Amino acid sequence: MTTQQPPLSQEILAQCNQQAMEPWGSRKLRQSRQGSISTLRSSLSRDQQQQQHPRYPLLLPRGFLPIESSSRSPNISNPNSPFIRRDLVALTKRFSFGGWLQGSRASFSGLPLHQPVQLENTYKTEPEKGCLFKASKVQKLVQAMLDSYLDGASYNAASGSHLSQILSDMVKSKVKEISPPRYKLVCQVVVGQNRNQGLRVASRCLWDSQHDDFAVAMFQNHSLFTLVIVHGVYCE
Amino acid sequence: MDEFQLSEETAFVVDDITTIIQDTVETTIGSSAYQQNRINQWTSSVVETSLNQLSKLGKPFKYIVTCIILQKNGAGLHTASSCFWDNTMDRSCTVRWENKTTYCIVCVFGLAV
Repeated sequence: MTTQQPPLSQEILAQCNQQAMEPWGSRKLRQSRQGSISTLRSSLSRDQQQQQHPRYPLLLPRGFLPIESSSRSPNISNPNSPFIRRDLVALTKRFSFGGWLQGSRASFSGLPLHQPVQLENTYKTEPEKGCLFKASKVQKLVQAMLDSYLDGASYNAASGSHLSQILSDMVKSKVKEISPPRYKLVCQVVVGQNRNQGLRVASRCLWDSQHDDFAVAMFQNHSLFTLVIVHGVYCE
Repeated sequence: MDEFQLSEETAFVVDDITTIIQDTVETTIGSSAYQQNRINQWTSSVVETSLNQLSKLGKPFKYIVTCIILQKNGAGLHTASSCFWDNTMDRSCTVRWENKTTYCIVCVFGLAV
């Protein structure tokens, strides 16, 4: 879209310069910014009568976004979403129109905007000493959970999926409590009926073997079997 | 536009990975009947080949690939996963495949570096 850009006020320019000097932060912020940029421009370029706020919407001060313009655009980004706020910070650095990556999550509600989170580099590439993912500890915890939760349980086709979801959420929350900081967790649960069928589960990972690990726990009775695999992956 | 292209190259594209996994399983198991003495080799092969193909994509992800091979005899099976990760960058993908005697379920988790 080609709209004529009005001149910027001194206040906004100063704020943009200040934002441009800030550290870049994580990629998470960058990706989320791209999606919101194009939407903001598409929505606000049609509306030239925003009297309450500057007409250059992308450089608005934090905590401020025109509300009226959103009603005119079908694919509008959520002013309350933290994504837009981060876009405002990022736009001063790069003025590129990426594809709409995050648009499908948007909805407008008109609530006040949150302050954007400023993330700086920590320059940490390894976990602290003694803060590794302890597979043996996790294995004992998960095994104890399975033994207590599934004691006396029998397989039921209707509730099997619900059981597996509950178990995976439960195991993830418990392991999260004991897992060291900066670790991502992936918890998989397999619940099956015990009918003497042949079954094999195999897993392989492409990761940093010094810092990442996994734990496995299994429970079996006459009616069902349950397998839980928890992977702990260090996040730089 | 630099940023957009960079994000395309570094994004977890579910369709590509689904295709890779399906081809891998088709090549490894194909139309073979379930055999207890071959199942070890099948699962290892599916997982290793998938991981090799994923690493060749050259994207900045750590991958976790899990394969379940199950004999068809009427028994029920449910799988679920729960993840504590970065919602904007990390993705997972599950591929279900079957032939006359075998079910195969492959889950791929991609965790951004």
